[in-house]
Amino acid sequence: MAIVAQNSKFGTIGRPVFAWVVALIFFFPIFWLVFTSFKTDADAVKPEFLFFFTPTLDNYLNMTENYDYWRFATNSVITSVLATALALVVGVPAAYAMAFNPTKRTKDVLMWMLSTKMLPAAAVLYPMTFLAKSLGIYDTHFVIILVLTLVNLPIAIWMLFTYFKEIPKDIIEAGQMDGVNTWGEIKEILIPLAWGGIASTGLLTFIFCWNEAYWTVRLTTTEASTLSALIEGNRAPEGLFFGRLSAVSAAAVGPIIVLGWFCQKQLVQGLTFGAVK
Amino acid sequence: MSNRTLPRLLQAPAVILLLVWMIVPLGFTLFFSFIRYVLNSLNRPEWTSPSIDNWRGFGNYEYVLNAKDFWFAMQNSVFIVGSILFLTVILGVLIAVLINKAFPGQGIVRVLLISPFFIMPAVNAVLWINMILDPVLGLNGLAIDGINNVVASLQDAPLVGWFFSLWTKFEPISFRSSQNSAYAVIMMVTWQWTPFAVLIFMTSLQSEDEQQKEAAILDGASKWAMFRFLTLPHLGRPMAIVVMIQAIFHLSLYAEIEIVSRGNGNKNLPYLIGEFANNNIGAASATGIFAVILANIIAIFLLRMVGKTLME
Amino acid sequence: MGHIVLEDVVKRFGETEVIPPLNLTIEEGEFAVFVGPSGCGKSTLLRIIAGLEDTTAGKVIIDGQDVTEVSPSKRGLAMVFQSYALYPHMTVRKNIAFPMRMAGMSEDEQNTRIAAAAKSLNLTDYLDRKPGQLSGGQRQRVAIGRAIVREPSAFLFDEPLSNLDAALRVGMRLEISEMHKRLKTTMIYVTHDQVEAMTMADRIVVLQAGVIEQVGSPLDLYHTPQNIFVAGFIGSPKMNLIEGSEAAKFGAKTIGIRPEHISVATTPTNGAWKGTVGVAEHLGSDTFIHIHGVEGCDPLTVRAAGDVAVKHGDTVYLTPDAAVIHKFGDDGLRM
Repeated sequence: MAIVAQNSKFGTIGRPVFAWVVALIFFFPIFWLVFTSFKTDADAVKPEFLFFFTPTLDNYLNMTENYDYWRFATNSVITSVLATALALVVGVPAAYAMAFNPTKRTKDVLMWMLSTKMLPAAAVLYPMTFLAKSLGIYDTHFVIILVLTLVNLPIAIWMLFTYFKEIPKDIIEAGQMDGVNTWGEIKEILIPLAWGGIASTGLLTFIFCWNEAYWTVRLTTTEASTLSALIEGNRAPEGLFFGRLSAVSAAAVGPIIVLGWFCQKQLVQGLTFGAVK
Repeated sequence: MSNRTLPRLLQAPAVILLLVWMIVPLGFTLFFSFIRYVLNSLNRPEWTSPSIDNWRGFGNYEYVLNAKDFWFAMQNSVFIVGSILFLTVILGVLIAVLINKAFPGQGIVRVLLISPFFIMPAVNAVLWINMILDPVLGLNGLAIDGINNVVASLQDAPLVGWFFSLWTKFEPISFRSSQNSAYAVIMMVTWQWTPFAVLIFMTSLQSEDEQQKEAAILDGASKWAMFRFLTLPHLGRPMAIVVMIQAIFHLSLYAEIEIVSRGNGNKNLPYLIGEFANNNIGAASATGIFAVILANIIAIFLLRMVGKTLME
Repeated sequence: MGHIVLEDVVKRFGETEVIPPLNLTIEEGEFAVFVGPSGCGKSTLLRIIAGLEDTTAGKVIIDGQDVTEVSPSKRGLAMVFQSYALYPHMTVRKNIAFPMRMAGMSEDEQNTRIAAAAKSLNLTDYLDRKPGQLSGGQRQRVAIGRAIVREPSAFLFDEPLSNLDAALRVGMRLEISEMHKRLKTTMIYVTHDQVEAMTMADRIVVLQAGVIEQVGSPLDLYHTPQNIFVAGFIGSPKMNLIEGSEAAKFGAKTIGIRPEHISVATTPTNGAWKGTVGVAEHLGSDTFIHIHGVEGCDPLTVRAAGDVAVKHGDTVYLTPDAAVIHKFGDDGLRM
């Protein structure tokens, strides 16, 4: 608590220094992951090469050979992109309906949607496996896309809803007076106006899909496995492959961290369901 | 009115999808939790297919409640979630207050700080348990090794050597061992979720009433008093939301526990369900229903809180 | 074109009835103003005509056709909103073109109409700007332009001037009035400002709590208000409403006398009311004197000539013009 009680000298010099130290500590593990990824597997566990070593790109160049990285990455991209698209296709009309044509039950519907998000995945683990296997969709892109869509739909709808609520109702009504039909309202007015909000919802949904680690591991074996499953499958190398494991891990999280930097502000709105602004 | 029917119907696909998603698997779980259902049984092959004939009533629930692992998993769930919440909220408030005021490089500090949040859980666990916490090859092991080497070299030194000879060798902590694996999970999840708390508290701090603070300065309030009586109450709601949302997420932790110790000495409810589900589907389902009840208790509080603000 | 009838229209929001059964006819080419205090249901009524709000019961008939169940876009009406409701992502040109594009009008026709509307509204130089780059008055012109180009059977205005500053408001008021004279299209205009109502309307509809208190021309309402509410609402400064023994002298529960119908003297006059000046507001052309101490009405307002020299604390003697005293009975209605 001393932080706020300090005098102004702390404020001008101490605060930035302290803040930078904290930030670097938090970033260090990520830095270390990337740093290690440029070491050979042998160098990575030698104390004498802890900080000084001959960097190599081999770990990245051999990702396909070592881990079949691109197959898993392709699966991640396919499932995340399509699940995000599907969540938006279903979510935008739903959020539009609730934001601009509310009924007495709209609030309850929204709350209920959120409550499905709180259903613990493990509780329906076996039924889902069972259903997927009986329907012949186990270990397919289809089931992963479906589950990712459903898991993320409530948050997507909430985010879209909070963005849509900020559009003045007058503008939608002006559109109605000007002769647009329902489809026109969405296409001509809503989407162009809420484009930023829809994009950040999509970005955040994509990140959540990409990082999903429960269903993607449990509903796949080989064909549709994503990067989460790849990493989890190589979880405990006992020090043998630190270099190559670091490289494939960095390749799995790198793009997402960069995407995350772009939507950190929307993250708050999305994850708190708009309750903190 | 007729012309509003179509727009209202547009929410139907989402509602139907989520309704099916909620009811169908949960219905199966509920059904399985009341029957004897195992995947492999040489003695009782009739139990290997889900059938109403294998009705067991609350037998699975009794079985689960009497299982030592269940109570251990419950306790462990509470221990892990509670510790993470405590650490993230405290660290979150401190860091948010620290970086809230403008200073050189604030933007970069924000970006660095938020980064852990976007790491996928599997990578988080692999990174921490191997590259950082491994007792031999991770930074943990290397650091202890380094200290031991320094001490060893000082033991031969003149004058002070006798002092360092009294030192015993440091032993690195093994986080894969059963007692410590929960700490590893707490550490890595706290690292990942503190940024989330920071981000939310910062957002909230930005909406703090500046005029109120100016009035407090005129009233002669100290900085500590301002923090205690203005800032902390202002953060009350975001804190509650951070706690609730994290509780929901962390109650279903799985990848981290799997990767750190494969559940050895460190099971939570989802992990236990996964273990049961290797064979005893009835018990797994009953445990699942307990998990649903637990999540619902927390969810009710969260929904109330979120609902109040959002719908105005 | 532009004949609008409301037949037994009822509107409820849940349990609360905002508009009890209401009947109203708006004649073709008429400039009708709905006026009343906020929350009186005037905007709801306008939105019911527009189709943006559904009726709980009753019918809306436009040009002989029952449009109660017809969507807003098919009623052939145009609306100008208080917030202007321009599409922020489109240029002025596209905003104005939007209703025509939705109606599938040819590009040439669209351009001709846009040019004509822009010319009459002084918007020609701004056609390629976005609404965010325009002033409030310009935005309002764009909103009007968007309404005009459709050649609607009636224009609906929902408090269109209340977001403008006072000077601009007077100018726009004149422009809209002139537009009506030129187009001769039915206009329905909602406002809470009785000055706007008096200056613009052919016919004023005074509403309170969803009920029509009186319908008539501005001067009708001024000279023969049907009840105390209309008497107090129309006219500025407000009519003085006096109760008690003074009213009883006229055989009424309440008497109303407009500030301009009271003469002021500083010397005692026979039968006059005596009072003390509280505040005298000198406007130059007129003086509004607020007087305390007159029984049954405190303060009493008098509108006197601009050069009357009274100040705070002066004793004055007031003589009402008996010919224009309005008498209201126990039920609040005109006697």
